[in-house]
Amino acid sequence: MREITLSQAVNEAIAEEMRRDPTVFLLGEDVAEAGTPFKVLSGLVEEFGTQRVIDTPISEPGFMGLAVGAAMTGARPIVDLMFGDFIFLVMDQLCNQAAKIHYMSGGKLNVPLVLRTNMGATRRSAAQHSQSLQALVAHIPGLKVAMPSSAYEAKGLMKTAIRDNNPVVIFEDKLMYQDKAPVPEEEYLIPFGVANIKREGTDITLIATSSMVQVAEKAADLLAAEGISAEVIDPRTIVPLDEAALLKSVRKTSRAIVIDEGHQSYGITAEIASRLNEKAFYHLDAPVLRMGAMDVPVPFSPALEDVTVPTPEGVAANARKLCAGDMIHAA
Amino acid sequence: MPRNATSGAGPHDVTMPQLGMAQDAGRIVAWLKAAGDTVAKGDALFEVETDKATMEVEAQASGFLTAITAAEGDDVPVGAVIARISDSAEDDSPAPAPAAVSTSAPDHADDLPKGQPVTMPQLGMAQDSGLLVSWTKNLGDKVAADDILFEVETDKSTMEVPAGMDGYLAATLAEPGEDVPVGATLAIISTDKPDAPTARSATSIPAPSAAKAPPAPAATTPARAEEQPAPKPQPAPAAQDRILASPKARRLALERGLNLNNLVAAGHPQPFHARDLDVLANLPATSPAAATARTATIRLTAEIATEGLTAFAQWAAANHGFTDRDVLLAGMAGASLSQPGIIAIERHGHSRGFAIPADRALSAITRSDDRPDLILRDLRDTALRSVTTGAEGTPVLTLMSGHVGLILTLECSVDQMSAPAAIALLSAFAGRMEHPLRHLL
Repeated sequence: MREITLSQAVNEAIAEEMRRDPTVFLLGEDVAEAGTPFKVLSGLVEEFGTQRVIDTPISEPGFMGLAVGAAMTGARPIVDLMFGDFIFLVMDQLCNQAAKIHYMSGGKLNVPLVLRTNMGATRRSAAQHSQSLQALVAHIPGLKVAMPSSAYEAKGLMKTAIRDNNPVVIFEDKLMYQDKAPVPEEEYLIPFGVANIKREGTDITLIATSSMVQVAEKAADLLAAEGISAEVIDPRTIVPLDEAALLKSVRKTSRAIVIDEGHQSYGITAEIASRLNEKAFYHLDAPVLRMGAMDVPVPFSPALEDVTVPTPEGVAANARKLCAGDMIHAA
Repeated sequence: MPRNATSGAGPHDVTMPQLGMAQDAGRIVAWLKAAGDTVAKGDALFEVETDKATMEVEAQASGFLTAITAAEGDDVPVGAVIARISDSAEDDSPAPAPAAVSTSAPDHADDLPKGQPVTMPQLGMAQDSGLLVSWTKNLGDKVAADDILFEVETDKSTMEVPAGMDGYLAATLAEPGEDVPVGATLAIISTDKPDAPTARSATSIPAPSAAKAPPAPAATTPARAEEQPAPKPQPAPAAQDRILASPKARRLALERGLNLNNLVAAGHPQPFHARDLDVLANLPATSPAAATARTATIRLTAEIATEGLTAFAQWAAANHGFTDRDVLLAGMAGASLSQPGIIAIERHGHSRGFAIPADRALSAITRSDDRPDLILRDLRDTALRSVTTGAEGTPVLTLMSGHVGLILTLECSVDQMSAPAAIALLSAFAGRMEHPLRHLL
């Protein structure tokens, strides 16, 4: 199968959907001529013109509000938020308006809007351009949240998101735009709420999102050399969450580490760990661990930045402790 | 008035709800159910008109509508009982007091001052209790009907509630901070100055009017539990201290009828995990004879250099694709056994089994989870230099890092292996580990 980059996969997904459905349009800062700073959307303005690929002024609340209105009145906007960190600027439009309109209108109105943005540290972009803020939106009922872990997921989840009749937020890892993966030429969609078992194992479950799936897979390689068999699961969407798949795996392995690049406290990892604890308690042979980014503003210093996020070695070290029954002093 | 203190599905009194802040009575516009009709909780029961609005009031219980005491067009005070929802269409229990008649002091109040009860008002449709925030009158104070008597907090708001009648505050039956069911008597107002004003806490208030489910101020646990029923708690351990064991280990112990106390008695290190149950299952009966047998153990130690092993492993990986070093270890241990068998390699408390073929060929070794004939416990990345754990269910060969090379310790019981067999095994294994090429010869 051909391999394309995550960036190309997103571009293909959007282009295909724009060809299929004339109500789909793109808007955001530098999406048209520049094709975004990451060049993800290059070429789209040439095909679809400036009516459907719209460069906006630097005013996130403005164009996000515009998109919510457009979505309510029949269009299917894809809003490009240049950095995930800017999501703070669109919180009211996203969380108070888009997320609630379907509910508050008694189902009479839909908001078929996609907010595509990014996450991920270790790009030396400092504290205001390196955050992974998926937990903020996953907390709000009415928003779906997808976190692609490769080009394959990026394309299939984006197409599903565009066809969803209510708001979806997609976080792409900005360090993975050039990562290649096999992507079929023929059309496919990835349904929301279906986890992907990346690798089967029997001793411990590593539940990882987005970029952390790679970290978990590398950790699983390290562990395999020592005779520890790790299962790696990518939930793909954190809202809706494929809880059944996660529980099934943990009931099999009796141990789990949940890994996400958002800050560890009050994060995605805590939510998933808590559900495992509630629903698989009597199958657990060790405490469920969370691994997220350190609870600090992401440092600019490369040496410091690199230690704030989970690494394969760190995951493997924790997995070893869990398998050895060594967590008694962890708390 | 609290006329039914029984618990369970007894009759439920239908009262005039308080639908507005300043409302003290409502007019029955229409009954939407007739006497004897079946009603389900949530059914619209009657229509009431206040000075602000007309609205339908839902039944708060299921059953048969009986004992209607208020007719359409009647003005009924808030809180008055106007009907009952019973378990049968012919409820033979005494009819409630006529709606318009005010209620008398609670039955249980034999030792309370005489007077009229003040009850916890219903301030919202779905409210079933209110939190008493404070009393705004002191016990024994003279109160007027529109004097604020107390402050109550619901999940929606906090509001002040007037006394509703003139008199003296003779008794308070709840303390600030307590959650009191709607309809429960909160205070008694007497017409004469009371001799012995009484203050009690809400815990002494009997069940509220009718068979409303007992109020649960603390939210009950959402019923989204595990589909499997939780196992019963472990029988209290004989030992004084709590046994440290994982949830899974406890569940498996219960399912397999094993007693974790026996592991404690055997001195097995805590916390216990699922794998420790195999140790537990294999524990010999704690009879004196068995104890003697357990002490008849063999312990042998050897020290070897590691260079040969390292070089061999690199060569085998590069030339023959043996990237799994455990296969090499298992192969060398298996070749040292007198009979081909199963070798389990334990590391970080995790075990992988390998079946050694009859010809001892490394390439024909397969994974196997059958019961091992020998356990190879790899402690090379620990600081341990010596172990004496006593015989286990299976002979154990322990690998540890020494100052220069490897330390090998074999422990087994005389039942498992004779002394000459043990010496032969360890010698053969040490030889193969030191000079792995011998394995190929």
